Amino acid sequence: MERLNLEQLARLVDEPPKPEERAILEGDPLLRRELEELRSQTEALGNLPAVLPPPGGWHELEKKLMAAGLIFGRRENTHVWRKWLQVAAAVVIFVGGTAAGWITASAPASSGSAGAASGPASYASLEEAGAAVEEATRVWMAAYGGYQQLLGTQGQQLRSSDPAAYLAALETVNAASRAAVEEFPHDQFLNELFIRTVAERNQTIRHLTLDGWY
Amino acid sequence: MIRRACEGDGRAVRALYDRYSPRVYAVVRRIAGDDDLAEDYAQEAWIRAIRALPTFRGEARFSTWLHRIAVNSALQAVRKEKTRRKREVPLPDVIPVPPRMGDTLMQRKLEEALAELPDGMRKVLILHDVEGYTHEEIGAALGVTSGTSKSQLFKARAKMRRMLKGHETRPKEIEAWSV
Repeated sequence: MERLNLEQLARLVDEPPKPEERAILEGDPLLRRELEELRSQTEALGNLPAVLPPPGGWHELEKKLMAAGLIFGRRENTHVWRKWLQVAAAVVIFVGGTAAGWITASAPASSGSAGAASGPASYASLEEAGAAVEEATRVWMAAYGGYQQLLGTQGQQLRSSDPAAYLAALETVNAASRAAVEEFPHDQFLNELFIRTVAERNQTIRHLTLDGWY
Repeated sequence: MIRRACEGDGRAVRALYDRYSPRVYAVVRRIAGDDDLAEDYAQEAWIRAIRALPTFRGEARFSTWLHRIAVNSALQAVRKEKTRRKREVPLPDVIPVPPRMGDTLMQRKLEEALAELPDGMRKVLILHDVEGYTHEEIGAALGVTSGTSKSQLFKARAKMRRMLKGHETRPKEIEAWSV
């Protein structure tokens, strides 16, 4: 071997030279200089700075995260009334439907769930809609408690039978309770409900993603 | 903050974004080789990361965990984009990244040379020399052997060196290996 090519020198940035390579380097100052340049280049690459994302990136991302139901935040109070009705309807429908299906033994259906499920569409005032949501969430809490009790007495069978469906149901409650907290950020009951649904959702996601899907 | 972000607190997520977005954007942009694509890829990486937050167990530093999601997300997005473009029109071998204002001259030269590397070499060089991945980690991320990763790295360094010396500009050859 008379001379080292650039790729061989590039290897020597990380690895020690073999004896014959060392001999060649020792006899060729230009090659040693080239190796130093390659080392400098590698070091400079390692020191490349972070790059600021384009301005406005967060706002775009925020919209996408909100649309995906991954964050909540203080939004502008446009269409509050319409959104509130949607929240009420979502919670009421959920309580009247999905949650009732979970609980068959230990949490008998309350009058609230049946009544609420029958007419979620129209409310005369914000107070009326708020009361409906509060009642619905109380019923949900009772159902949730019953569900947890069933889990305790029957092991994990109820959840493990269809964890994806359970997660989907939790997402529904999560979205509704999140929106409710946005409207009443200081309400202790709504906050507690939201936190509990988020914790349960996260725990369910952990069960579903033990091998790291990403 | 991570716990609050996990619970959907927009302000906590914003705080994470403010703190880590330059590093996420940098690696995604260098892998993408294109500013417009980089914006989309970076946002996709963030959405993945926030969605996966409940799986973060704190075994690694959050920045490391986030960084890996960003790299994997960008690599996957590049593959998808390449497939999509192949179906439409032939892809140019090289997609130059315009340098950003405020860079030093050397950094600008390095970024330009990086952008002119063939796709496979660029990914390996970025992951190894810029981001500090091992060849085993690169192999796992790109679906190649660690030997292939080494070989591509040495070729990439040599090509960079030639470009920075001015002996080689705008390489036109088709790369023999790509990921």
